[in-house]
Amino acid sequence: MFDFVQLVRNENMKIYRRTRTWIMFGMLLVLTLAISIAAYAFPDGNLPSMWMAFQINTMLGVNLITIFAVIIAAETVAGEFSTGTIKLLLIRPWTRSKILLSKYISLVLFAFLFVLLLLVWNFVLNWLLFGSDTEARMGVDQLPALNFFLQYHGYEFISMIMVVTLSFLVSTVFRSGSFAIGLSIFLLFGGQLLTGILSLMDYPWVKYVLFLNLRLSDYLSGGNMFGRGEHDLTLGFSLSVLAVYYVIFILITWYIFKKRDVAT
Amino acid sequence: MQQLTDEPVVRLQGVTKRIGRRTIIDKLTLDVPQGEVFGFLGPNGSGKTTTIRMMVGLMKLSDGEIIIRGHRISSQFEQAIKHVGAIVENPEMYKYLSGYDNLVHYARMFPGISKQRIDEVIQLVGLKARIHDKVKTYSLGMRQRLGVAQAILHKPALLILDEPTNGLDPAGIRELRDYLRRLAAEEQTSVFVSSHLLSEMELMCDRVAIIQSGKLIDIRQIQRLGSEPAAAEVAFEVDQPSEAALVLSDLQVEHKDNRVVLTADREQIAQINAKLVSAGIKVYGIRLLTKSLEDQFLEVTGGEQIV
Repeated sequence: MFDFVQLVRNENMKIYRRTRTWIMFGMLLVLTLAISIAAYAFPDGNLPSMWMAFQINTMLGVNLITIFAVIIAAETVAGEFSTGTIKLLLIRPWTRSKILLSKYISLVLFAFLFVLLLLVWNFVLNWLLFGSDTEARMGVDQLPALNFFLQYHGYEFISMIMVVTLSFLVSTVFRSGSFAIGLSIFLLFGGQLLTGILSLMDYPWVKYVLFLNLRLSDYLSGGNMFGRGEHDLTLGFSLSVLAVYYVIFILITWYIFKKRDVAT
Repeated sequence: MQQLTDEPVVRLQGVTKRIGRRTIIDKLTLDVPQGEVFGFLGPNGSGKTTTIRMMVGLMKLSDGEIIIRGHRISSQFEQAIKHVGAIVENPEMYKYLSGYDNLVHYARMFPGISKQRIDEVIQLVGLKARIHDKVKTYSLGMRQRLGVAQAILHKPALLILDEPTNGLDPAGIRELRDYLRRLAAEEQTSVFVSSHLLSEMELMCDRVAIIQSGKLIDIRQIQRLGSEPAAAEVAFEVDQPSEAALVLSDLQVEHKDNRVVLTADREQIAQINAKLVSAGIKVYGIRLLTKSLEDQFLEVTGGEQIV
């Protein structure tokens, strides 16, 4: 069939032509700028390393982007149902699977683009404010800072995609954007609490719970292993568990979307 | 341009939709040939929209088949649907996009729709002045026009419109009607229109199917003035009905009160009138007694309640 890229362009248009998206973008830039300037203006003794500001800003920013991407994921399918535009979208010479795929790709692109912008913006901003620092070493393996943060945010991106895919699933299955947003955000933040409780129980299945395996970046930073308790988890194990969840999420989403009668 | 063929553009064969244990649509069978404006008439809740949803693949069929240009909607969706342009219920567009961006959006989903074609369609539906405004600022009538624009972008062989006159003012209705008739006559597009507005259907369609409670009740040819071959019942209002009956005794005539009623075609009506006048009978009026579609519609559906 003809150009699939055109479908992704359509979905991109529906994301970036909305004021909402630019407000999100503005929030991300302004918030991180404000934190850096505050750290610069009121230093605690000497000026901190650029990497300290970078770390705070990007960790915060990634959480913010996860929320934004969850909102877009929730909206992309459920929104078309609630406005009724799904009817005109599905009566084109494209299978439902391809239409859904174009939506999913545009969503992942959105998350990737925002993370990339966050990292570049904060690298440049904090380098200008605090000066370069090539000596900094970070994490359990004492990696050079830039190297460390690239890996760190690589893992964070995988976790983000898991949460976003879940939101996409809920959006498709229940056709309710608010439910998808609510559930995803609850699981994102409440999930950590839940894992804390779960990890206290000594059941063998606890280590297969999604949220116990979601904080991949902990393997790198060695920090905040809260919730893992006595379970002996490795990066490879967590990645495998996530992969299985991912495939299940995707299969359910596509199956339901293909199967369902559109009667709004 | 589409090639001419005897094959119907769309064929419904025993189309059935069951939801749970209820049968919403029951063995619907009909053909729409090329270049015909086909009306799909039924009271609210009779299954018009469900049928249309199945025709465009939004709902799956429980039984039967819908074939568009030789392709089955169930198994060859992409090939079948590319011949179709449609509005299903209200034309819901992306409100945060301009009318133009909405059209670009749909144009991208078909191969080879040029910018010129988009402009041509905008001109055609008369939205040129407002096309770059956001759809949320449009009136219902303008949204309906934009809906028609997205449906005809790719010059479909079959245009499916669900209640297209909803929200249009009388001038808009007339314009749409003229446009659909022109599309059928000039581009040989088949048009499938649903409505519960009977008089509207009479003016717009070549044939009308009447459905009720998911069952096809009747398909009728619409008689057009000027091309009327069939004889019809005619009443002559006269001053001496019994005299008139005598004058016309070679025909089958009924007379009652102040009129005579007989069956005649267009040409005969003129001749009978001349005969009466020359016999010194005053003719006050001549009236066709053919039932309007509305009468037929109420007759076949029997004014029955929606179940």
